[in-house]
Amino acid sequence: MRGLRADIVLPVLLIVGTLLTALGFVLAFTTAPLVYGAEASEPALINGQWVTNRLLLSQKIFYFHMPVAVVSFAALTFTAIFGVLFLVRRDRIWDTRGRVATEVALVFIMMTMVSGELWERFEWGVWWTWEPRLTTYFILTLLVIGYFILRTAIDDPERRAVYASALGILAFIDAPISLMITRLVPSGVHPVIFRTDSGLSPDMLIPLLLSLAGFICIALALYRLRVREQLLRERLDVLQEMLED
Amino acid sequence: MKSEAYRARGASSATPGAPAPPTQDIPPAPAAATAPAATLPAPTAPTPAPTAPAAAPTPALATAAPTTSAAPPTQDAPRAICVEALCKVFGAHRALDQVSFELPRGAFLSIFGPNGAGKTTLLRILATLTRPSSGTVQVLGHHLKDQSEDLRARIGLISGRSMLYPDLTAEENLIHTARLYGVLDPGARVSELLASVELTARRHDVVRGFSRGMTQRLAIARALVHSPELLFLDEPYSGLDPHAVDLFDGLIAQIRTDCSHSFVMVSHDLEKGFELASHVLMLARGKVVRAGRREDLDFAEFAALYRQTVGRGIA
Amino acid sequence: MTDAYRDFPPPIGVRTVRPSTFAQYRTLLARDLRQEFRTREMLSSMGIYAVLVLVIFGASFAQVAHEMDLLKISGGLIWALIVFTSLLGLNRSFSREREEGALEGVLLVPLDRSIIFLAKATANLLFLLTVELITLPLFFFLFLSGSEFPTTFWMILGPLGAGSVGIAGVGTLLATMTANTRGKDVLLAVLFIPLAWPLLYACVVATTAALLGPEAVEVSYLGPVVLALGYDVILIAVSWLLYDFVVSA
Repeated sequence: MRGLRADIVLPVLLIVGTLLTALGFVLAFTTAPLVYGAEASEPALINGQWVTNRLLLSQKIFYFHMPVAVVSFAALTFTAIFGVLFLVRRDRIWDTRGRVATEVALVFIMMTMVSGELWERFEWGVWWTWEPRLTTYFILTLLVIGYFILRTAIDDPERRAVYASALGILAFIDAPISLMITRLVPSGVHPVIFRTDSGLSPDMLIPLLLSLAGFICIALALYRLRVREQLLRERLDVLQEMLED
Repeated sequence: MKSEAYRARGASSATPGAPAPPTQDIPPAPAAATAPAATLPAPTAPTPAPTAPAAAPTPALATAAPTTSAAPPTQDAPRAICVEALCKVFGAHRALDQVSFELPRGAFLSIFGPNGAGKTTLLRILATLTRPSSGTVQVLGHHLKDQSEDLRARIGLISGRSMLYPDLTAEENLIHTARLYGVLDPGARVSELLASVELTARRHDVVRGFSRGMTQRLAIARALVHSPELLFLDEPYSGLDPHAVDLFDGLIAQIRTDCSHSFVMVSHDLEKGFELASHVLMLARGKVVRAGRREDLDFAEFAALYRQTVGRGIA
Repeated sequence: MTDAYRDFPPPIGVRTVRPSTFAQYRTLLARDLRQEFRTREMLSSMGIYAVLVLVIFGASFAQVAHEMDLLKISGGLIWALIVFTSLLGLNRSFSREREEGALEGVLLVPLDRSIIFLAKATANLLFLLTVELITLPLFFFLFLSGSEFPTTFWMILGPLGAGSVGIAGVGTLLATMTANTRGKDVLLAVLFIPLAWPLLYACVVATTAALLGPEAVEVSYLGPVVLALGYDVILIAVSWLLYDFVVSA
């Protein structure tokens, strides 16, 4: 029974993850210094107010937003890897793993979207702009949702697995292209927004890394838990089918 | 029955002006005098010993001329099909479970079984349209997992769907297929085929306007464009009018006069399938229920087993 | 009578030589084009649909058309038109293969299955370009007859070409997947639009720049076009590699 060994790692991972994330947040709010918000290239009129930059509490969302975004993309990478493995080896377990990885990606991309939304709202006062990141996350969300809609639309399990693997690979390739293009293509309409993300001081780096590590642990734990559940369910189906004979 | 008359004529007449054999590198099976030992292994389900045919077999079976008069190849000859422990499973449902059998060259295999028994799955795996999950399958000497292109050049499939383009004419459909296979002089080949299926008069008519029988005849022609050595037939008689049935039987009989052509047919028509076959295979729920040479099996008993299997084993 | 067939030699023993990949590609493409010439089904349905979209645009801008310079948003409108029209065309591109199971007949032939992709994508591209050729002048006539076109106007051909190629490529792969599913039209749109979004974005920017004039072109034309071409190369290569798996399933 592959993948079904008594998983002592799982609860440990979950606990460690939660602790790390919590610690990261606490530090983010206590020790990490407040930061100037993003600088606009020209003073922009937003909601009747001239904005250049200002000290922001809402920037703290960054400590949540960035790790979650990173994890979601990492999960999508695994979807693509599992997709390739399935297409080559044709073992159903790779399809199961790929699906669960995409589910984890969906959860985290949703969190990314929500946190990105909130950040945008609190920082700029608008609910939505077509800035590179937000748009890319939105596209990514649509891709992952499309993955599940495709899976639902196909009855034949083997074909479903092949198509889902192909789509996972395409999505994995499309996401960075999307990010790149939205950043590199100058859109003469918006003020171009620079974020001073590089050059994080150690005070800021530590909470960030902590929450990143924490979220990675949580994601891994969720993944393993769900894969176990799915494999057990598959075994159950096989046994039921055998009983019917 | 008309078909037996055609078969007898087909066996007796020499094949006039038969063109050169296809340029493939596997030699055709040598004609040998001795009949091969039964190469189909014992079935998995326990069966009673086949009784000697006490009742007189129906006339249709008695005059099955080509299968016994055409000398079958020896056991050393390359086999048409060799299947070992074939499984097709994905998830809970096992479409095929440990299927094993062999088929010599020049043989005609009929596969029977209830719906969902895995007959079409087996056929599609042999025709390289579906991949097996496990087991070894060799068709015409090629291992399926090698995904050999040469194998595809030597097999053909006739299924329930005609695989034609409805908006092209009969001739255009055949020329398209001929070009894809790389048939030399496609024009002549297409004319020859259209004549064989009696569609020469309709060659410039669009397929959308054809009747079901005509479509099926054209589908047969399409499958024969590249003159495959091994022909797969998935319920070829369904939807055919009697004229088309006769034509089809005649064509098959003609092709069979050359011993190196093999056939695998899935059919629900027990009598017809038994009549044409040199070997039979019965599947139920993905497993082999009965396999053997047609000569070794008694029709009445086989029919009883078939009714029993179909009645009981709907997957 | 029915003995007629026996006057002809039996249909066995034919010489075949495996044709070159290009010859097979040509055969497949010629078949697609011939079917279209005979029925004109796809071109006419795409064409009519494009005109209807223009009608809707007309309704949308009826109020403000004389106040606004539509030239600025034409880039976006053109690409919206192209996307909707191509979705319709892509949906139907495999309908003839599926009607009688002809695709399976092609899969039985010894060939590299990726050239099925190439032939089908080329056909889709040609149909899309033809429809663009007919409806874009109509668009300009209906909405931009009052505007003054800048000298860089002809440069819209660049993103049009790059975008159409990308749409045809990715769209053909996705259409193969969705052809066999329930709710296939919607599914194609759901999968296609996010995947093609980067391409669309780049093409809209480049097209808008070309329509706005030389100053805009200097800033935001070449970059997006190059990026669009890069997108095309990467995604068509990936589609090519994946196609064998997808069409065999």
